[in-house]
Amino acid sequence: MTIWWLVVILGGLGSAGIGFIWLAVRLNQVSSAARPRQSESIEETADQDVEHVFNKEFREELRNRGRLHFEKIIGENAMFLQQDLRLTTSQLNEYMKTEITRKLKEEFDKYEESITDAKQLAIESIQKTNTAIDDQRKVLSQQVQEEISAEKQVRLQRFEANMADIINHYVLAAIGNQIDLNDQLEYILADLEANKQAIIEDIQNGA
Amino acid sequence: MAPESKKIKGLPILVASPVDVGRLVREIESMNEMFMQLSLRKPGAEVKMPKTSRLMDQTILLNELNLLLSEDRLLLQQFLRAVKERAPVIHASFNADPPVAFMEKLVSWLRQEVNPLVLVTIGLQPNMGAGCVLRTTNRQFDFSLRENFAKKRELLTSMLHVEETAA
Repeated sequence: MTIWWLVVILGGLGSAGIGFIWLAVRLNQVSSAARPRQSESIEETADQDVEHVFNKEFREELRNRGRLHFEKIIGENAMFLQQDLRLTTSQLNEYMKTEITRKLKEEFDKYEESITDAKQLAIESIQKTNTAIDDQRKVLSQQVQEEISAEKQVRLQRFEANMADIINHYVLAAIGNQIDLNDQLEYILADLEANKQAIIEDIQNGA
Repeated sequence: MAPESKKIKGLPILVASPVDVGRLVREIESMNEMFMQLSLRKPGAEVKMPKTSRLMDQTILLNELNLLLSEDRLLLQQFLRAVKERAPVIHASFNADPPVAFMEKLVSWLRQEVNPLVLVTIGLQPNMGAGCVLRTTNRQFDFSLRENFAKKRELLTSMLHVEETAA
């Protein structure tokens, strides 16, 4: 749109220049074509009068006036053209500035929108990743906790079993040889008494 | 007047194991052979009188036998053979070699409460701590401190838990 307007304006300016040139040439032709073609006498008289009135100095004067007038018109038109050109250039600059600004603004808006969308996508992706990491961390933490509890239970049971064996072994080793059999007799006879019936039955039913 | 039939009363406490009974059997057989040799001896030959062991002395004393009589010897021999073949045997293990007094009390209790002809063999298990392990024909009775500890392991564990909780 902007380029077409520029082409139209430049075309208008060119047409105006060509018109001025054509007008100058035409005036020159008119001045040359305006010579009277009358009868020879009249012509001669006229020529004489003309020569008298329009003598060389006078024609030169007219030519100078015409030239000055033409130059004045040319100057005025050139001034108008210059003003128009400046105005057009100014408007063109303003238009270009406005269009470029608008275009740039649109592009910046699109760019900003794209950046905003990308930012939103990145934020959503990061949030999803954080959520997944949190879930994974919770699952992992729970698994680790369960494994720690199981391992603790196993170690505790092993410790208890070993500890009971160690204590039993220690007590047996410590007091086993210190108790006299005569002192144990009452205890042994009490056990025998408690199991007397079973012993008798086994002896009676023995092979 | 017909002679009164004798009856064996039992075994002395010191005759506790099948080995002791085997010794008595061999001793009585030896005496029988000796008396048979005496009956076959030539007149004027030197006679060597048999010597009885302490176990045999107690056996004779308990059962009021006269081993100079062949009937008594025969009776004792049959009795001892029967005991050797059929008497119930209990194997008792201790953590140390039991003294004689202890064995006397144990055998006395067993013969009084379980069977009057029961025989006891002794074994050693130094790792049992205290108490004894009794093995009859088909069963084993563990009265040892080791077994008692094993039975009460849960109690020990629960006490450890209590200590741990209190700490």
